[in-house]
Amino acid sequence: MDKNIEEILELLWVFKEHGIPARYDKIVAKSKVDDTSEHLAEMDKKGLVEISGDQMITLTAEGERVGEGIVRRCRLAEWLLSNVLELGKDEWESTACEFEHILSEEVTDSICTFLGHPPACPHGEPIPRGECCKRFSKEVTPLVMNVTEMRPGESGRVVFMSPKNHGRLDKLSSLGLMPGAVVKLHQKQPTFVLIIGETSIAVDHEIAGEIFVKKMECHD
Amino acid sequence: MNHTAAKNDSGETGLPKVLLVGNPNVGKSVTFGYLTGSYVTVSNYPGTTVEVSRGKATINKKLSLIIDTPGVNSLLPMSEDEEVTRNILLDEHHDSIVQVADAKNLKRSLTISLQLAEMGLSFLLDLNLYDEALSRGISIDTKRLSEILGVDAFTTVATRRQGMDKLLKAIEKPRISGFQMDYGVRIEESLAHLEELLPESYISKRSIALMVLAGDATLTDWLHEKLSPAELERVEVIRRQAEVELRQPVSYLINRQRSAEIDKIVDEVYSVSDTVRGGFRNWLGNMMMHPVWGVPFLFAVLAIMYLFVGVLGAGTMVDFLETQFFDRYITPWSTKLADAFIPFEIIRDFLVGEYGLITMALSYAIAIVFPVVGTFFIAFSILEDSGYLPRLAVMVNKIFRLMGLNGKAVLPMVLGLGCDTMATMTTRILDTKKDRIIVTLLLALGVPCSAQLGVILGMLGGISFNALLFWVGTVSGVLFLVGYLSAKVLPGDASDFIYELPPVRLPHMKNIFFKTIARIDWYMREAVPLFILGTLTLFVLDKLNALVLIEKIASPLIVTFLGLPEKAAEAFLIGFLRRDYGAAGLYALQRDGLLDPLQTVVSLVTMTLFIPCIANLFMIVKERGIKTAFWITAFILPFALLVGGVVNFVLRATGVDFK
Repeated sequence: MDKNIEEILELLWVFKEHGIPARYDKIVAKSKVDDTSEHLAEMDKKGLVEISGDQMITLTAEGERVGEGIVRRCRLAEWLLSNVLELGKDEWESTACEFEHILSEEVTDSICTFLGHPPACPHGEPIPRGECCKRFSKEVTPLVMNVTEMRPGESGRVVFMSPKNHGRLDKLSSLGLMPGAVVKLHQKQPTFVLIIGETSIAVDHEIAGEIFVKKMECHD
Repeated sequence: MNHTAAKNDSGETGLPKVLLVGNPNVGKSVTFGYLTGSYVTVSNYPGTTVEVSRGKATINKKLSLIIDTPGVNSLLPMSEDEEVTRNILLDEHHDSIVQVADAKNLKRSLTISLQLAEMGLSFLLDLNLYDEALSRGISIDTKRLSEILGVDAFTTVATRRQGMDKLLKAIEKPRISGFQMDYGVRIEESLAHLEELLPESYISKRSIALMVLAGDATLTDWLHEKLSPAELERVEVIRRQAEVELRQPVSYLINRQRSAEIDKIVDEVYSVSDTVRGGFRNWLGNMMMHPVWGVPFLFAVLAIMYLFVGVLGAGTMVDFLETQFFDRYITPWSTKLADAFIPFEIIRDFLVGEYGLITMALSYAIAIVFPVVGTFFIAFSILEDSGYLPRLAVMVNKIFRLMGLNGKAVLPMVLGLGCDTMATMTTRILDTKKDRIIVTLLLALGVPCSAQLGVILGMLGGISFNALLFWVGTVSGVLFLVGYLSAKVLPGDASDFIYELPPVRLPHMKNIFFKTIARIDWYMREAVPLFILGTLTLFVLDKLNALVLIEKIASPLIVTFLGLPEKAAEAFLIGFLRRDYGAAGLYALQRDGLLDPLQTVVSLVTMTLFIPCIANLFMIVKERGIKTAFWITAFILPFALLVGGVVNFVLRATGVDFK
């Protein structure tokens, strides 16, 4: 599909997500694509959108499906680039925009599984669920999961951490919690308690959610 | 604030200096006590030592100065404690450094060893708590470790003095570790550039360069002092360049590299046989913070504490001291003696009158306060040393979160039930200024100290269980509400809850004994003079007939608004000198039949929330500054009266009289 059409579909999908009516003139003004009107006419022909008499654009079922796929790829890419590869914000924002046009569905699902089916992008917007996420509850265990998704008694090797600030990272690493370390989740309630070697650490739920591990076979 | 780095060499000049450093809760203070023979507070949770202690010791027939430092997880400061310790290394020369380490936590201990090695300091490694390591099946090849690091390493059990003689002998001859790490080309390049710019100090330029590169903000003042603006600018450029090019926080990369190096060492010298693991203490530790069993456990602890402090201390012992000791002997004897030997009525009154030094001040201090505070401190010391309090923090973290605090705040709050003044000092273990202000406010507002609590429980117990429940409910409700609101009002984010849980340990009776004695000693020194001052104030006011005047002035408030007898004003007035003293005043009123049950509840709620005692106020000024102290007081005074008034009206309107 044409890259420009994908951009417009993404825009329309996000408008719908936020409940903003997609007025024709507004879409043309917001769109970063040249010749938006011509593309819209083409999309209308292809059955991706319907343009009504009062200048409102609505996504067809097909348009909605494609748009959702694009947004999903974009937000997953953002998550991957910012949290795993720890790129700067400008960089991951612009790179993610490229990713959304090139990722195949299989690759997207693999990335989603690898990341442990993250629910939201770094901006906090929800990531549309894919086929892999629906299957996930029954069959697929994610490659990498955060500590809150572990069960008490399970152990995992820390793959990466994505704390909100450096201070938190330093504090955790001075207690021995850093990539490569083996963490055992002791309990989740009333507060998370993690065991690293001979050290027990209590942490908030939020912090536990920032520690990503690769699950190991149970020892006990 | 940083008086620790000050060069207070006066009187100590010439003595060889021995510094103790190490992770939190590994036994530095025990070692300090062993070396110097003097006692410093020892507890089983991280962060007990908040100030640097200095003491003299004779080591190998030579007088030396021993310095105990707050525990650190890294010499790259992330907390005030860590900054204090790092600054001592940076600014003072030491003849010897003993790194006290937790043998079972070798990885974390080595983080500090490697940093000391990088600083180019001569030290020795004391692998303490070796008994705990052995009981977990851990063994350490100290000979090999010593070879790798190039410094002497010993295993010890400081609480039982095992291995300490060997350590003592070696203190005189510490070695400089030859251990060097490579942080990779990019970081090494920046380090080399930085080292050219940095000034000489007691620690190596390389170690300072690493701190700079890691973005250690606590070094800023020191650098400003030592470097020209142009040099500072270049330092900043080098640092920023490294950060940009490395794309990851440099501190993180440094930590990771160190950790990898430490893993290599640990693999070589440390082994665990998995035969002995778990055990009863582990099981007990898990129960203490179990989502279900932790709750009954907490109630059991509270019940035992109540029996010990409330029934034995505040009941039996107070009764005995007051009725047997004071009422039967001290008071009549001293009255007789005064009548016989002192011709002036005013002096007689001063000693044994209604507001007399002996009849009021001493009898309150010794007969009422001493047993209550004493039993509380024993109970608290046992809780402290057992490792229960950090697990309690795990239990209550979520509740404290609602007040903008985290579970760690439970430590000063529980200590506040013993003495708010001491607890205000302990707020230093909290991470942010916001946390410290909120806890200081809550302590001053509504956490009754043990002396006061003893009297309150006695008074409410005499009415009904419902009255007690009402009091607990009102005070905790107010605490919660004020905590919740101040968390919203005060600027700053909620601080992280990342808390290391110490192992469950069986408290050593000797430590409990010394700690309790030290606390009681501190309490008596601080409290008794204030008791006397309070009595003196009352005595003077009484003689000048000012007491009646004050009661008259306060009477609209006390009588109309709070619905209490005029004489209650007196209790509130002394309450300012010491809250427990004020509560004792109310107790006397109740005993004389001047307070009905409803009035008792109203007066106790007001008294609990009322202005902190004068010692606590001084401590707030010292810890938080005069401005904060002023605002805290300005809030508490009218607020306590307001809540008291509301309680009075609500109870009267609803017809609840607790009879």
